Amino acid sequence: MHQALPRRPRPSRDLAGRARGLRRTFPAVLTAAAAVVALAACGPAVTAGGSGATGTASAANPDQLQAPSDANPSGSITIWDRSGDLYNVFDAAIAAFNKKYPNIKVNHQAVDINAKLQNTLITGSDVPDGVFLDDALVAGYSDYLWDLSGVLKPYVKDIAKQKVDVSTVKGGVYGVPFDLDPGLLFYNDTALQKAGVDATKIQTYDDLVAAAKQYKAAVPDAKPIHLEQTGFLGQLQLEMYANQQGTSLADADGKLRLDSPAYKQILGWLDSVQKQGLGTRAEYLSQSDVGALDSAKEVFYPWSIWFDFAPEQQLKTTKGDWRAMPLPAWSTGGARSGAMGGSSFVLPKAGKNSQLAWLFYQFLMFDPNGYTAVYGPNSVYPNGLDTSIPAYKPAADPAKPLFKPSPALGNQDLWKTAIEAGDQIPGGTPIPKWWAGAVDYLGSNVQKMLDGSMTPQQVIDQSTADIQKNLVDRQ
Amino acid sequence: MTLGSVVTDVPRTSRPEPRRASHRSRLRRRLAPYVFVLPFLALFVAFSVYPMLFTLRLSFTNWHGARAPQWVGWGNYTYLLTSPSFWQSLGNSAVLWLLIVPVQLVVGLLAAVLLDNARTRMRGFYRVAFLVPFVTPLVAIAQIWVVVFDKDYGAVNGVLRLLGLPAVGWLVTSTWAKPTLALLFLWKTTGFIVIILLSGLQSIDGSVYEAAALDGAHRARQLWSITVPLMRRTLMFALVMQTLAVFQMFAEPYVVTKGGPYSSTTTAGLHLYNAITRSDLGTGAANSFLLVIVVMALSLIFVRLLRSED
Amino acid sequence: MTTLTAPDRPGPAPATATSGRRPRHRALGSVGSHAFLGLLTLAFLAPVVWAVISAFKPAGQIVSSPLSLDPSQLTVSNFTAMFSDVPIGRGFVNTLVVLAVKGSMTMFFAPLAAYGFAKYRFPLRDALFGTVLVTLMLPTIVLIIPLLLEMKELGWVNTYQALILPGAVDAFAIFWMRQVIAAVPDELMDAARVDGCGEFGIFARILVPVIRPSLAGLAVLTVMNIYNDFVWPVVIASSQRMATLQVVLSTLAQNISGNRIGADYATVTGELLAASSVALVPLLLVFVLLQRHFINGIIAGSVKG
Repeated sequence: MHQALPRRPRPSRDLAGRARGLRRTFPAVLTAAAAVVALAACGPAVTAGGSGATGTASAANPDQLQAPSDANPSGSITIWDRSGDLYNVFDAAIAAFNKKYPNIKVNHQAVDINAKLQNTLITGSDVPDGVFLDDALVAGYSDYLWDLSGVLKPYVKDIAKQKVDVSTVKGGVYGVPFDLDPGLLFYNDTALQKAGVDATKIQTYDDLVAAAKQYKAAVPDAKPIHLEQTGFLGQLQLEMYANQQGTSLADADGKLRLDSPAYKQILGWLDSVQKQGLGTRAEYLSQSDVGALDSAKEVFYPWSIWFDFAPEQQLKTTKGDWRAMPLPAWSTGGARSGAMGGSSFVLPKAGKNSQLAWLFYQFLMFDPNGYTAVYGPNSVYPNGLDTSIPAYKPAADPAKPLFKPSPALGNQDLWKTAIEAGDQIPGGTPIPKWWAGAVDYLGSNVQKMLDGSMTPQQVIDQSTADIQKNLVDRQ
Repeated sequence: MTLGSVVTDVPRTSRPEPRRASHRSRLRRRLAPYVFVLPFLALFVAFSVYPMLFTLRLSFTNWHGARAPQWVGWGNYTYLLTSPSFWQSLGNSAVLWLLIVPVQLVVGLLAAVLLDNARTRMRGFYRVAFLVPFVTPLVAIAQIWVVVFDKDYGAVNGVLRLLGLPAVGWLVTSTWAKPTLALLFLWKTTGFIVIILLSGLQSIDGSVYEAAALDGAHRARQLWSITVPLMRRTLMFALVMQTLAVFQMFAEPYVVTKGGPYSSTTTAGLHLYNAITRSDLGTGAANSFLLVIVVMALSLIFVRLLRSED
Repeated sequence: MTTLTAPDRPGPAPATATSGRRPRHRALGSVGSHAFLGLLTLAFLAPVVWAVISAFKPAGQIVSSPLSLDPSQLTVSNFTAMFSDVPIGRGFVNTLVVLAVKGSMTMFFAPLAAYGFAKYRFPLRDALFGTVLVTLMLPTIVLIIPLLLEMKELGWVNTYQALILPGAVDAFAIFWMRQVIAAVPDELMDAARVDGCGEFGIFARILVPVIRPSLAGLAVLTVMNIYNDFVWPVVIASSQRMATLQVVLSTLAQNISGNRIGADYATVTGELLAASSVALVPLLLVFVLLQRHFINGIIAGSVKG
């Protein structure tokens, strides 16, 4: 038998051969690449420099959606929503819509919107007629969307100004405002009272710090105020504080305005909370956060209304101890709330039945049967949808709550608190196209400041320079 | 007679030529490669080469999707090459490579050798178990990682506390986020590396070990002096493959850390993905081709290094 | 073809050869190797076990108390919610169709083309293979938009061919198989030619048996890649009718991985883990049931021809 003989190892020859092969193919690749650039028979049609800007908005703006004139409109529309319970809420509202418009068939799809919308819009393939979208993303897609300022005209005066402004780009309005998400100060009433702190007396952020100190004196291992640790939500919360003062990262012309007294005050305040050991730094409702909340070490949570989900579903020992009040003001007599988050409905120009989609959203948001179906008690939310309030003021009547008080907040009338806070939210705070991209700079730098490696002024200077160079200048 | 013996027993000089081959069979032999390559080629040109050329052209424009693109020459490339975040993303990937690839090759080889050994019991069980992570959807694993590596309530820090060690901010400090992410990648892909190495091991003729055993070679030495050299080709393959995978990695950091904290886990792949999601398609394309150059250079270096050891 | 039929790989593996002389060493080695393999197995399985068990916990508890387990509270509510929320059955069917067609194409055309590249010379071969290498090194995400535009031109959006054809014979499979086939000595094929074997016959009857271990590896990789692919299916299959299993999963996951705004975080986590558990089962079953044939096939294929 041959097997007893030692065998010659094989690989070395092949390996040398392979190396030779790679060296041989490499120049070939380069040649091919060079040839391709010259050929360039494919790819998008490239204009020979110059400006690619379209004409300015005019009365006969082809980008502006017109309301349908048909008395009995019919057809079918495709609507994208995020999966989950909001999808179920809208799904139930479609039944109400079809009572009014029996001939419009709604093809309702639960879709991974963040993954799909951009590709779909760029390629124009299978574009839906209406899409549920974060306010922060609306401006970024405005080139593809209908300008809704015409159809929204009858309603604009009754819509929270902040909501109209966030989807306004150069005079056009690109989203049907869905929800207003007012910032509130959530506080653990039971724990604070036990420590002898009366939270309802808090009027300004200085009062909040004083109350936190008072609580910490009674509960030494407490770090009473939440400091957000994710870049994205941290930046979103920063914008809430700024919105309160009527400013935002960029003005209506897209110019950066981070270097302002308002941002200096906010960042300085966050920095001092951290330096005085008054803040719990944690990611929103991570295990660490929930633990600190449930052990009453973290008792103040300046956040959007949707924080109420925590006492309702995540907290155990402190469930029912929480209450909500308007945010403190940045200066005595200042606005007591700012918006944080929120969504709108957008209508792509490439949609087939945009006019019918407008009817759908018009019904959902501005028809009493529509908004009642969305916000009121339903099979998904027996108490109603209480993680935001309607942006449309006739729907947001403090005396006519659409959702019921929640036991997790000690049966407080959250509807009334939120609507009154929402009324104070200043407008004039558009969200620039590149907002989400700014998280890598501003969001990160805020975290560095909380780490102690940057001062508030450095955060402002560094972020301004980086955002200008990497985002604004590259649009 | 085994395959190995075919190699050694047939002297290279006496390589038989199909002398008596007819004209027809020679023609067939000449045409054969075209027929074999054609189905692949058709799909490849249509769905790989065409989009690649499209992308290459894109990399010289400022296309954002909606409006007509404008030619910007090398603008996107110079922007990236002077951008600290681009270099940081390459650095992050390089660190991840160091944390992942050597560990993976060593652990993978050891596991493959043990699983190749007929004496090892429950080999079937182990092999299936090793492939489980590969099958698990990433989105589910991301959730698990976030929960298990939580600073205050995660299981890992729970164990550390039991041992009297301080808690570690696994996903929230820039020092530890990379190792934690590397661990996820190792967890997800090592099983498959074991399978690749196993298939390489099985092409080694068992008799080389017998010969070595007669020489009284120690097992550890056997592994180093016989298995590794014979496996060089397969190891090389795994090395190149994982280098590609690590530098292109974007889904793992995207779902677990979003590239944070402080962009410390923004990998080269995630960096270009971010450009694309910002609709900065030209920059994304340019970033991709720069990455191709980096990975190609690395591959050539590996090939050269391994060859010079011969 | 006597040269190719051969007995199995000779005798017992290395450990036996040394057994007579170093029994203590072997015992130690065996304990050590089981400890090593056992530890790896534990590390590989524990997270999955956690996910599957958590899928049976009430949704609220998965996030808030991830490590607790109260058997009396186990529930299938995540599963029922998930089944009513997303078309997971449809997803399975679509994945199966894509897997069958695309998988077969890869398993047949990739080794065939790799054979052409490795063992024949023809004009432009090296340039062509160089291009294969470049596409391999190019991150696939950057090709999504060009490909999607192409699909739109072809009218293939939301079709099976769009899910199947791009990547059906992927560059990596070609690269790998070419590596493997290049290592097979030419003499083997020349001998077969002398015996009067046709060119395709050489591939099918000589080469395939020889490279079977690697083919088994390629099969594992191909099945997993197709089963787990989601980036392309998510963008190309926008209608639910065409959604694959992973598209269904990513639709569920978006509220978690996107941003955590909104009230349905816990619910979706529960549904996601339930869906992931369901997605795991078929592949695991395939591996367990077929492991003797499938993975052991790597061993059996061994070196014999």
